[in-house]
Amino acid sequence: MLSPDVLQKFISIVGPERCKTSPEDLLTYAYDAYVHEALPDAVLLPQSTPEVSAILKVASAHRVFVTPRGAGSGLGGGSLAKQGGIVLGFSMMNRILEVNTANRYAVVEPGVVIAEFQMAVGKMDLFYPPDPGSANVATMGGAVVMNAGGMRGIKYGVTRDYVLGLEVVLPSGEVMKTGAVTAKDVTGYDLTRLICGSEGTLALVTQVIVRLLPKPKTKRTLQAIYNDLDDAGNTVAKIIAAGIIPATLELMDKTIIKALEDFAHLGLPLDAEAVLLIDVDGDPETVEKQAATVAEFCKNQGARDVRVSQSERENEQLWVARRAAFGAIARVRPTCIIEDATVPVSHLASAIKKILEISERNRVQTAVLAHAGDGNLHPFFLCDQRNQEEMARVEKAMDELVDYALSIGGTLSGEHGIGIAKAKYLPKQLSAASLSIMRGIKKTFDPQGILNPGSFLEHGA
Amino acid sequence: MIAKELKEEVYKCIKCGLCLTPCPVYNLLRFEGASPRGRIQLIKKILEGRAEPSEKFQNLLFTCLLCETCTANCPSGLQTDRLMKAMRTVMQERMGGNWQERILGILPGDKRRLPFFLYCERTRENLLSSGEGKSGAPSAFEPLRSVSPPLREQVPEVNPAPESKGRVLYFTGCATNYLFPNVGHAVIKVLNRMGMEVILPQGQMCCGLPLYQFGGRKAALKNIRENLKLLNRKDIYAVVVDCASCGAALKKEYAHILEEMGENTEPAKELAEKVVDISQILARFDLEKILKPVKGRVTYHDPCHLGRSQGVKEEPRNLLRKIPGLELVEMAGAETCCGGGAALPWEYPEVASGIGRNKIQSIKETRAGIVASGCPWCRQQIAENLGQESIRVLHPVEVLAEALRES
Repeated sequence: MLSPDVLQKFISIVGPERCKTSPEDLLTYAYDAYVHEALPDAVLLPQSTPEVSAILKVASAHRVFVTPRGAGSGLGGGSLAKQGGIVLGFSMMNRILEVNTANRYAVVEPGVVIAEFQMAVGKMDLFYPPDPGSANVATMGGAVVMNAGGMRGIKYGVTRDYVLGLEVVLPSGEVMKTGAVTAKDVTGYDLTRLICGSEGTLALVTQVIVRLLPKPKTKRTLQAIYNDLDDAGNTVAKIIAAGIIPATLELMDKTIIKALEDFAHLGLPLDAEAVLLIDVDGDPETVEKQAATVAEFCKNQGARDVRVSQSERENEQLWVARRAAFGAIARVRPTCIIEDATVPVSHLASAIKKILEISERNRVQTAVLAHAGDGNLHPFFLCDQRNQEEMARVEKAMDELVDYALSIGGTLSGEHGIGIAKAKYLPKQLSAASLSIMRGIKKTFDPQGILNPGSFLEHGA
Repeated sequence: MIAKELKEEVYKCIKCGLCLTPCPVYNLLRFEGASPRGRIQLIKKILEGRAEPSEKFQNLLFTCLLCETCTANCPSGLQTDRLMKAMRTVMQERMGGNWQERILGILPGDKRRLPFFLYCERTRENLLSSGEGKSGAPSAFEPLRSVSPPLREQVPEVNPAPESKGRVLYFTGCATNYLFPNVGHAVIKVLNRMGMEVILPQGQMCCGLPLYQFGGRKAALKNIRENLKLLNRKDIYAVVVDCASCGAALKKEYAHILEEMGENTEPAKELAEKVVDISQILARFDLEKILKPVKGRVTYHDPCHLGRSQGVKEEPRNLLRKIPGLELVEMAGAETCCGGGAALPWEYPEVASGIGRNKIQSIKETRAGIVASGCPWCRQQIAENLGQESIRVLHPVEVLAEALRES
């Protein structure tokens, strides 16, 4: 609990309207898109870096826990006040401060929604590629501290590949800048990339500088339709091995296809076992050629049909549907735990088989989605969190999947982060030495341990 | 009061957050309690007995436009707006609402007092407003309002066409009857011209939408029953409405409410088959030959209850396109709620006008001289927020009526 005295100090910084303590407000900041809930003691909604700095000064003076939050769309409990204290929400710091066309970078506040940013730079013929499925809700700040990946990872990489610099507030309240607006910068340790993906445990991001690309001239979306999930998985590995780099390469199984069709009514093939959703982008001639190559390739690998979208609007509709996958799957069962173990892409087809085998053995209903091109699996474990026995089976399936992914050289989490969802698995992948260095880094940034307490590093420490 | 199936809806929310960015209220206020996801969380906790139904919750529940944007965007298919409406009833019964909500939850069911109340609305300004301007000061949208008698007293019950090709019932709704009789005249004129005999059945009640939006579910039931009795006639081609909200009520909500209250839904389903928006029925006729050229530029705003609730988006635009010389220019975000939904302009005027600002901006950017919309509350909200701008705010059928050649 916060003492009235400390609370008063917070109110004096942001005013009573943006310091929320009613039970209703706390309940609505107790969740993200994961299944757990944790009530904060207060929610603060700062509007500027000086406010964030002042808040952290008070917090460190009184050892108040601070958990940053973007839009609360995370999938691992990263933005929950797991040990109480304040949730610091960035929804009101949502201005695009600069788009520099001459040097192709932009400076944004952390609360800017990714899709709105993409749209804003798109109007200037620029392109910000990182594209998590939740881009329509997730914020730039959230994407940075979680190092969000997404659907264009295969060709364009992840958030970290675009962050040039940051303005952050350290737990002490001190404001620090990292990086530069230049494309190259090797001055000292790369604190920008360290904070990117730190899950809000090192510093609070108050400004982000990202690099931008010229917008690809054109884009084509293909749907390769399969009667066999295996064939779809094999196609992916072969496309990659052949040196073709599509902009996106998504795999979805029949459960996902049905849920998306129920939501979006696009005429997706309900009788298919799997669909690969593939984007190719670039100059018109290249796109034309690549689309034909990819279509041919898929057919040779057993696709029964390849549909090529005829317009920008059709592309858009397909991707809107794909983005809704996580929500749409709630049509099947009320709870969905998304795994995001990632494997070397050559193992994709066998990994999918393994997932189905594990699910069947543990009697867990599973739908398979994958950012297939980069081996990033997204099995959806469909359940009802009100049923404890079922949830125990889901957990067992997750345990087995993690062990399997690690055994073939994969990773615990491709893009969702560790949060609380995967904290217990961390020692399986990270050595004692590497954990110890990470804890040392944490201590350097945050000696009192007030930032996002209860996060991954503390588990089993 | 909340049906079992509707209660189960809260478990469909997986908290993906896709309802946040499109929600006009969240976009303005930018805290989670003002988002559909936040309200669903609170409804869930209250239904589970883990949270108290407080005044604060009630305020959050009513700071909602019921614009259905969240429902349209929810990938898991949650009927968010229906859940909110049902919860509003629960809260009003348990807590009693504020004075505006209480009036809106009772008055439209009262045949005797409603006309008096709406008469005051016409002659004094903003009777229900919490904000400035309820003193009777002239307002920017004065020209929209008329101080003439209600439409149904101005025109006969039966308006025959010169060469009758069919007969329609015209459900005028309260707004057209009491506040915007010009729209009614336009409807009758155009339909007559198309050879339709237009009957304005005496005794029609408020469609009931304000009642059930503000928790007066039982009062709404009375209106629904009377209207069903009056409008379900075998000898008619269609039941025409010019108001987006009345249309949504007659087409969709009647059956839903009757079902929720354990009543027979058959008469409501029968009626729904016959109800058409004025833009839908006019789309069936060949209008070109009766229209004269009009110079100008018009933009169209989609009312939530017409676009989202009824899926009627193209027909009103096509009406405007048919007028020779008139250029239809799309505004940015035509489907975004204008902020006039529910009773927000009265209960939370700052929120409503905050949301209205973006709409006004989009309208101005089109440089259109007319903004057309088939919902009286949208027109009122837009006109009020346009301030001194000389842009006319009209129903599409009014624009059409102005372009009719002399017969």
